Amino acid sequence: MSVSGLSKRFGDRQAVSGLTFEVTRGRAFGLLGPNGSGKTTTVRLLTGLLRPDGGEVALFGERLTEASADGLRARIGVQTDTSLYPSLSARENLRAWGELYGLSRATLDVRIDEVLEVLGLSERAGSLVGQLSKGMRQKLAVGRAVLHTPELLFLDEPTAGLDPEAANDLIAYLTGMVRAANTTVIICTHQLHGLETLCDDIGILKDGTLLTAGDVPTLLHRKWPAQRYSVTVGSDPARAAEVISSVDGLTAEVVAGEVTFSTADEDAVPAAVAALVRHDVPVRAVVPQRPTIEQLYFATLAEEGAA
Amino acid sequence: MIDRQRVWALMRKDWLEISRNKQAIAPLAIVPLLFAAIIPAAVILVGNGGLLRTSVNGLQSFLDNLPDGIVPSGYTVEQTVVHTVIIYFLAPFFLLIPVMVATIVGSSSFVGEKERRTVEGLLYTPLTNRELVLGKVLVSVVPSVLVTWVSFVVYTVVVNSLGASVMGGLFFPTWSWVVLVVVLVPLVSFLATSLIVAVSGRSKTMQGAQSTAVVIILPVVGLLIGQATGLMLFDITVALVAALVLLAIDVAAFFLVVKQFHRERVITSL
Repeated sequence: MSVSGLSKRFGDRQAVSGLTFEVTRGRAFGLLGPNGSGKTTTVRLLTGLLRPDGGEVALFGERLTEASADGLRARIGVQTDTSLYPSLSARENLRAWGELYGLSRATLDVRIDEVLEVLGLSERAGSLVGQLSKGMRQKLAVGRAVLHTPELLFLDEPTAGLDPEAANDLIAYLTGMVRAANTTVIICTHQLHGLETLCDDIGILKDGTLLTAGDVPTLLHRKWPAQRYSVTVGSDPARAAEVISSVDGLTAEVVAGEVTFSTADEDAVPAAVAALVRHDVPVRAVVPQRPTIEQLYFATLAEEGAA
Repeated sequence: MIDRQRVWALMRKDWLEISRNKQAIAPLAIVPLLFAAIIPAAVILVGNGGLLRTSVNGLQSFLDNLPDGIVPSGYTVEQTVVHTVIIYFLAPFFLLIPVMVATIVGSSSFVGEKERRTVEGLLYTPLTNRELVLGKVLVSVVPSVLVTWVSFVVYTVVVNSLGASVMGGLFFPTWSWVVLVVVLVPLVSFLATSLIVAVSGRSKTMQGAQSTAVVIILPVVGLLIGQATGLMLFDITVALVAALVLLAIDVAAFFLVVKQFHRERVITSL
């Protein structure tokens, strides 16, 4: 997917402004932003439901236009939280959707069972959607979006309203699917927990503007070039911090009983450990404290707010 | 190009939903029962001239203005009243059945989706605008035609069983009625539903769509029905010409509705 200068205005409100980013096949892109930042408008623009005021979108190498949109949508799955039919059962919802995407009866029978099984909904297959819990409906909406094995999957707040365990399960399922089926995923959310396992790339959106976009390690490294390490020692942490600080270019401190230091030079880490060993400080563990997408998100928004 | 499988899938899904909506189903049974059984039965049972002619507004004037040769010669006053009411006077009312059914089902299937916001999911599917509109129109047209045809059978049974003694044997249906029910009903239903889907695109609630349908569509279609049935019942050639004209109007209305259907307008009005 290639997006270039995408803009959309509703009346005097600029909903989306000059979005430019790319997502290559088989990668998961997290479009992150607070409520009202333009995530849903972006999905609607990327699927051809809204006509942009400026810029263009290409999907699977083909320019998205009014004429090409219907054909391209056959290769896309979209999960939204409101589109299930409450008076139909879980199985009936899936069947109706599979038929709309042209799946044969035999294929549908297999796929519906597979999807229900993977999402843990097999026992509720005959229950009306209106009788399912919020979490089950969320899972079913995702199941419906992946039923026809789309090449590109849009997920709009898929973990909203899920308890942490269910959210983890869903993220794990999506991660497995992305890796196994080479599906490209665009996940729009402000629920940041667990995204590290799924997202290869992210974009942070605020007031319709993309503040930053790119692959996660690069963005994190750009934001925090120095890597933070936490050292667990078997003796006085203050003395350990003193020893590490004696190594050229390192400054250690004790935070909540743990010795930590930051460095952009990976070779400095064994040097710090060697110094501790030389000074008879038992080293139990050295753990890199990788910054998270959540930290990057809040730091980026805070930076934007300060500017 | 229209993908029939997708249109059929949409229709099946909608019918399944409607079949579980008692509020939508109840009028589908009550209205035809009224027009196909209760009113004709009442006409025949009180069809002894005076009471019926004075109590039904416009009937006396209708009887006075019947062209010559419409009522078979030798009929008694009672037979004339029953014949004209059953054959001619009730035809336009009878044709309102598909319009009413289409209004109920059409507003439920399209505006209902908007109201519940489920339409957004549909817009993300590969359904083209033409398939979406056609599916939504046929979802209403098929049951409205079927309900009307069943009503026609009921009407036939009721008027013949109750009226045979008055009329001296079976007297219904006439060929004009057969043409009217078989040809005109689907065409009228298609037109009414297309207009309702057009109106639905601008309505946010089912009540809103039904109100607009009652205020704008029913009078227009009703007028059309009145004129068409008046002409058709008196002459089969005119009936077939009228049906062709209506077919052309249907096709034009459908393409106009498709042209006016914009996903952006639908999605931004949710």
